[in-house]
Amino acid sequence: MARRYDSRTTIFSPEGRLYQIEYAMEAISHAGTVLGVLAKDGVVLAAEKKVTGKLLDMSGAREGGYGGSGEKIFLLNSNVISGVAGIAADANSLVNYARTAAQRHLFLYNEDIPVEMLTQRLCDLKQGYTQFGGLRPFGVSLLYAGYDPHYAFQLYHSDPSGNYSGWKATCIGANNGTAQSLLKQEYKDEIDVEEAVGLVLRVMSKTMDSTTLGSEKLEFATLTLDPATKQPKAKIYKPSEIDALLKKHDLGKKDEDTEMKTT
Amino acid sequence: MDVSFALTGKGYVLVAADTTAARSIVKMKGDEDKIKSLGPHLLMAYSGEPGDTVNFAEYIERNIRLYQIRNLYPLRPPSAASWIRRSLADSLRSRSPYSVNLLLGGYDTSTYTPHLYWIDYLGTMATVPFAAHGYGSYFALSLLDRYHDPEAPLEEGLATLKRCIDEVSKRLVVAPGKYKVKVVDKDGIREVEL
Amino acid sequence: MSRSYDRALTVFSPDGHLFQVEYALEAVRKGTCAVGVRGKDVVVLGVEKKSVLQLQDPRTVRKVVMLDDHVCLAFAGLTADGRVLIDKARIECQSHRLTVEDPVTVEYITRHIAGIQQRYTQSGGVRPFGISTLIVGFDPHDTRPRLYMTEPSGIYSAWKANAIGRSSKTVREFLEKNHKDDMTRDETIKLTVKSLLEVVQTGAKNIEISVMESYGKVTNLDLPQIEAIVQEIEREKEAEAERKRSRLAATAAGQAAMSSRVGEAEAAQPSGQQ
Repeated sequence: MARRYDSRTTIFSPEGRLYQIEYAMEAISHAGTVLGVLAKDGVVLAAEKKVTGKLLDMSGAREGGYGGSGEKIFLLNSNVISGVAGIAADANSLVNYARTAAQRHLFLYNEDIPVEMLTQRLCDLKQGYTQFGGLRPFGVSLLYAGYDPHYAFQLYHSDPSGNYSGWKATCIGANNGTAQSLLKQEYKDEIDVEEAVGLVLRVMSKTMDSTTLGSEKLEFATLTLDPATKQPKAKIYKPSEIDALLKKHDLGKKDEDTEMKTT
Repeated sequence: MDVSFALTGKGYVLVAADTTAARSIVKMKGDEDKIKSLGPHLLMAYSGEPGDTVNFAEYIERNIRLYQIRNLYPLRPPSAASWIRRSLADSLRSRSPYSVNLLLGGYDTSTYTPHLYWIDYLGTMATVPFAAHGYGSYFALSLLDRYHDPEAPLEEGLATLKRCIDEVSKRLVVAPGKYKVKVVDKDGIREVEL
Repeated sequence: MSRSYDRALTVFSPDGHLFQVEYALEAVRKGTCAVGVRGKDVVVLGVEKKSVLQLQDPRTVRKVVMLDDHVCLAFAGLTADGRVLIDKARIECQSHRLTVEDPVTVEYITRHIAGIQQRYTQSGGVRPFGISTLIVGFDPHDTRPRLYMTEPSGIYSAWKANAIGRSSKTVREFLEKNHKDDMTRDETIKLTVKSLLEVVQTGAKNIEISVMESYGKVTNLDLPQIEAIVQEIEREKEAEAERKRSRLAATAAGQAAMSSRVGEAEAAQPSGQQ
């Protein structure tokens, strides 16, 4: 019975549900985890990479640019970074749309786009894809971490239906339930970036499938205020920096060779 | 024939404009308000081609209001100024350009600073401590150069403004009789008597 | 047979149904409850607020929004659809002011919203909006409060009091029983809260109340204010229950007395027969 309402474009089922959206969300629950934590002086994002391989050429990422591998964490505008979970191709097109929207705002108003407005822009697009044109919805959830003068640091989450909401700490993708409850236990108001980084890494290490964390499975970024200019500054970590960070927080890979030698 | 002035002071912006509506050499009425409130902390004095001015000002007013209703917070003065300038520049390159000169005074409630922008019908924008449009500018700018103080309290600012208006009344052949003066500061917008 | 009549949106089924529209109403029935009540010179919107999760930012959870200075809207159904429809309505409010220099009347904007909703039931390749709305406000230069409702089908109607969303039928029945004409501000607010309590078990913390008293004058009640009203209602309910109980006890006592007397009489009889 149910099959009649879930194969074609988005239409209501007799119970008033939109199966296509629910399936899109299902797709996202298998995607790599993305986790965000809002601190009083910044926002922290981390993401689990799914595409890994010995032969994958990561030299582009290593040489800088915006850092990261460009798989999970993106710079949308100078004041907003986002983490995506879901269908990568859909995500790329959304990221492109968001960057254009942000630049259009800059062009018209000569200011960085407010974070919630950027979130809304994307959500309006996503909502459109659930309502007309014989299209399928975007199979992407996003976390937006940003800063604007109206509400200072903010963290938003949007899903394929075009809904969004603001969060202090949240998680999308695989194992998000576990991560969510961990965050609930450990999050404190008035947390600062330093503590937030630790919290994010701890929760990530517990929710990710692999036993050890390393730069080949992790993307990491922070958004803080530049102490000199008081302007938002996004930092997407390079692989070497992630490894250094992990080591600092004692979550890094144990060097197996040395372990072998000592035993 | 319109005359408008604006100047900043300590935590406020004063905006003044004459109140005559004229057609050719005939004065049609003497109580026209040429300063629009675009938000809780934003004033715009407009002058230029009659008809164009009102039309453009209303268009701006409604769009800025829409922004505030959509986002629950108003546009900040610098952003509003950029957007208004852009609208004027776009209109200049359209088939029927608006011929409107603007003075935009606002108070930024997030940085606690007054802002003043001078915009002309060609889409030129300048951030300035004081400004004037129309024939009045030939007499007022030198006075403002001499007497303007960005740290002056409101009374002093009003006195400087009065100097400008008096000078225009004394020397300009077609000097307007009456002015409307509005001030914007941290408490919002209000009209003041000179 | 009916299989192909509920997909193509512009098509009637043989028995005259527009299935997608009916299914959209189902989506509305899944949404949180919203109530609108009109008093003498006040109109109140009450909504059931889903509990904000511990780590969520309550600022971003909005169910009651302003369309213009004098018009307020609450919706039930798909949130994203709501946001998009609200945006269209807000644009119309300002556009109307720009073209005719007057603010919209409440009926005008209701008709406009309903019109948009109707278009989405008739053009090809789209699904209807999965929301119903309650629109309240005052017309310019007028003191009469207004309350309208729109539905996914594009129907709109004026009401003295109505509810949309989850369990709206129960609430509407409650309102039908308890609504009086010309209620004062406090009475109207109380009736709104009372009707919401029919479906909201968790009390004040899941209720949001907006009161519009005249053109452009809107206040949102804060939690302590709502709590006070809820407590008052509960006290009244308890007093009512107490009265009922004592009345029941009285009648029960009366019956007991009666039956015992009857019992005595019966007991007397057999002995008499013997």
